[in-house]
Amino acid sequence: MKQALSERAVTERPMIEVIGLGHTYESRGVASRALEDIALTVQAGRFTVIVGPSGCGKSSLLMMMAGLRRQTEGTILVDGRPMLDPDPDRVGVVFQDANLFPWLSAIDNVAFPLMLRGLGRSERLDRASAMLELVGLGHAGARYPSELSGGMKQRVSIARGLVQDPPVLLMDEPFAALDEQTRMTMGEELLRIWSQTSKTVVFVTHSLSEAVYLADEVLVMSAHPGRIIDRIEVELPRPRTYEMMATATFGQLRDRIWRQIRSPQPGNPA
Amino acid sequence: MSRASMLAARLLLLALALGLWEALPRLGWVDDEILPPFSAVFVTALQLLQRPAIHGDLVTTGLQLGAALIISVPTGVLLGILLAENKRLAQVCEPLLYFLFSVPKSIFLPLFILTLGISFWQKVAFGCFSTILIVLMSATAAVRSVREEHVLTARSYGATRAQITRHVYLPSMLPVLLEALRLAVIFSTTAVVLAEMYASRSGIGQQIASWGESFMMRQLFAGVLIVSVTAIVINEFIRWIENRCSHWRS
Repeated sequence: MKQALSERAVTERPMIEVIGLGHTYESRGVASRALEDIALTVQAGRFTVIVGPSGCGKSSLLMMMAGLRRQTEGTILVDGRPMLDPDPDRVGVVFQDANLFPWLSAIDNVAFPLMLRGLGRSERLDRASAMLELVGLGHAGARYPSELSGGMKQRVSIARGLVQDPPVLLMDEPFAALDEQTRMTMGEELLRIWSQTSKTVVFVTHSLSEAVYLADEVLVMSAHPGRIIDRIEVELPRPRTYEMMATATFGQLRDRIWRQIRSPQPGNPA
Repeated sequence: MSRASMLAARLLLLALALGLWEALPRLGWVDDEILPPFSAVFVTALQLLQRPAIHGDLVTTGLQLGAALIISVPTGVLLGILLAENKRLAQVCEPLLYFLFSVPKSIFLPLFILTLGISFWQKVAFGCFSTILIVLMSATAAVRSVREEHVLTARSYGATRAQITRHVYLPSMLPVLLEALRLAVIFSTTAVVLAEMYASRSGIGQQIASWGESFMMRQLFAGVLIVSVTAIVINEFIRWIENRCSHWRS
């Protein structure tokens, strides 16, 4: 873990660069400004959390990074190249509701991206079962999504996001639908998986505690139009523990985010 | 209730019904000229099934039914998908389709006879006419049952349009389409048999009608039994396939 950290420090290079991004959409002839003046850089191997009120465009921004939605202005570079269409070689996506295909077993869900690539069945299943092992579901490959709990579904979804070994994992409020306990466990699990795979993670949430607990850096967004109003380095040591949530540093960081969200900086109409 | 005792209870109910059917005419409570006992009907059915003429009738009805399904199901599915994919078209057509759906199809039967004569294809055409709307509406529902999130997920893994059709649309729609097929069998059987009973030279429906007219109650009941059992077997077979993919409609 420590070694991984120092390695990251040595080979520091930008994995995701968002440059001058803005987005305007039109609805019934009325143009609305959804995102404005977004600029951010995520270094390789870092865990970045975007937090903000609902409607601030944080999920839209993530979908743009995934190449699933096109912004009206600006550029997104992932691994140095523009992100114009979805590219599973560079980016894996984990959605809010896991979005597993109910007609496929857990292992076939994980293997789905490999099937699209035309890999042979045995290689697909080998790689998928290795991923299920990684997320702690090695025993549940044959089960169908309807037979899995919410937390297990989200683990399968993470395994699916990692199966092609992309350098970047984008996560859109992946734990929002889970109960508090499962959410805590999943946060811990995610950090363990992240430390084992050294992915670059961008994680969207509206939970302040989740943001501070997970992140190297927290980006705070405000709504109407969506813009980044604060960047916070979380200096808490890793591995993060549950006990850290009771420390003064943790509380201060969370308060700072909360104040930003509640009443954005002067000059920013909210 | 366990599965075994549930099955036992159902078999008991069936046995009771058949026993009542057997007992009523035998005990003289019902005239056996009107309701022959079950055992007599069953024996008659077995005898009828040995007769080449009846084979011919069943084959005719089966072919008409098969032709009606082969034409109406794919056409209905394609039109339904077209409608689901074109919002404008759907907005224009859907109310009219619902109106047409609520009209009993049987009142159009004389028109089919006038335009196509009393023929094989008249039965097929009437079968198609009676079936296609339900298939079309089910197919529209099937397309709309495809979840946008599943399409988005597949896209995020770089799926092409063809891959999305094959690996997301098709499996999402399959359970609804199987149900549509089952309904199509029920609707077109009703239509084909009705058309045969109304005016025909062959077919099991025509036989049943003529047994009824000549007061041949054993044959009439035997015909009813044969058609009922066949319809139930086909229906249950499709339902069995439906249930096999039940876990995908969570």
